[in-house]
Amino acid sequence: MKSFDEIQSQWNSQKSQVPAENGHELIIRKVNTIKKKQKLTNVILVITVIVLIFFFIYISAYNDLLVTFSLLLMIISLATRVALEMRSIKMLNNLNVSTTVENFKIRMINYYKTRVNTHLIWTPIIILLYSIGFILLLPAFKANLSSGFYNYIIVSALVMLLLLGMLIFTQIRKELAILRELKS
Amino acid sequence: MTHLESLFKDLYQTNYTKVYRLCLGYMKGNSTQANELCQEVFIKAWENLSSFRQESAISTWVYRITVNTCLLYLRKKKDIPVLKLLNNLESHPEEEQNSTVEKEQKLASLYRCIENLNKENKSIVLLELEGIPQKEIAEIMGLNHEAIRVRIHRIKNELTKCVQK
Repeated sequence: MKSFDEIQSQWNSQKSQVPAENGHELIIRKVNTIKKKQKLTNVILVITVIVLIFFFIYISAYNDLLVTFSLLLMIISLATRVALEMRSIKMLNNLNVSTTVENFKIRMINYYKTRVNTHLIWTPIIILLYSIGFILLLPAFKANLSSGFYNYIIVSALVMLLLLGMLIFTQIRKELAILRELKS
Repeated sequence: MTHLESLFKDLYQTNYTKVYRLCLGYMKGNSTQANELCQEVFIKAWENLSSFRQESAISTWVYRITVNTCLLYLRKKKDIPVLKLLNNLESHPEEEQNSTVEKEQKLASLYRCIENLNKENKSIVLLELEGIPQKEIAEIMGLNHEAIRVRIHRIKNELTKCVQK
């Protein structure tokens, strides 16, 4: 190819795709399905929280202050993580996609800066609080569980922590790369 | 059919081909991913249609959504190999096969060169290749017309040099 005109004709010669007659209906149907699924997810989350609270009361966990404190620490840190993630998804969905590309880019850069800050500040605090809660629960586990199951809990918790650390590291790296790409 | 649905049908039928080809450019010629992205663009268009204020032409509005959705797609990006060559060659006679291979190789090289541009220049050149007027490209990008004109000239040179390599 020697000139831009040739590039243009090369581009034009690509296979084209005609829109399906009922394509717009399929899109509308898909949007409705997505909305239904989102509602269902919210219902499941609420039911899970209710069941957890019910179980907490049912086993009278509040009688042992240390167990109560540890469990609450774990539940609150998990709930905070879920809330942060939900806020982030909402922020992303609320980005105005019909604005100019320049504006949109600025908003996306801000979004990713918030994400990276969450990963670097909030996530380590949450993991630390969750781990403290877990360590405080260990004596209760030891007293009530068989030694085999107790060892299993410790090993699986360490493996989970390692996997979580790797996942967060990968996520931060990916989001920093997107930030760099957007700023370029 | 409601007024909004009929407006969406019209918008879909009129702009689908251009939107698809823009997505194809972003997805380095991978038609499966371009289809997925194209669907995402029209989902966003339908979700936002009720807030369309007619401050710009509806095509400008759709192209903004297309370019912005392509930027959002960076989140889901997997490394796509540039255009799978030698597609369906068995069905073509030998001469036709040779010209198809050559054509696809040129296209693959073009996609590779477009991919080397930064995100903004990539969007601008894809809109230019789709024959969208420069004034409209300026409105889509949120830059002034003169800046777009100069930029397109520079990108065209860069792209031409790259494909000659």
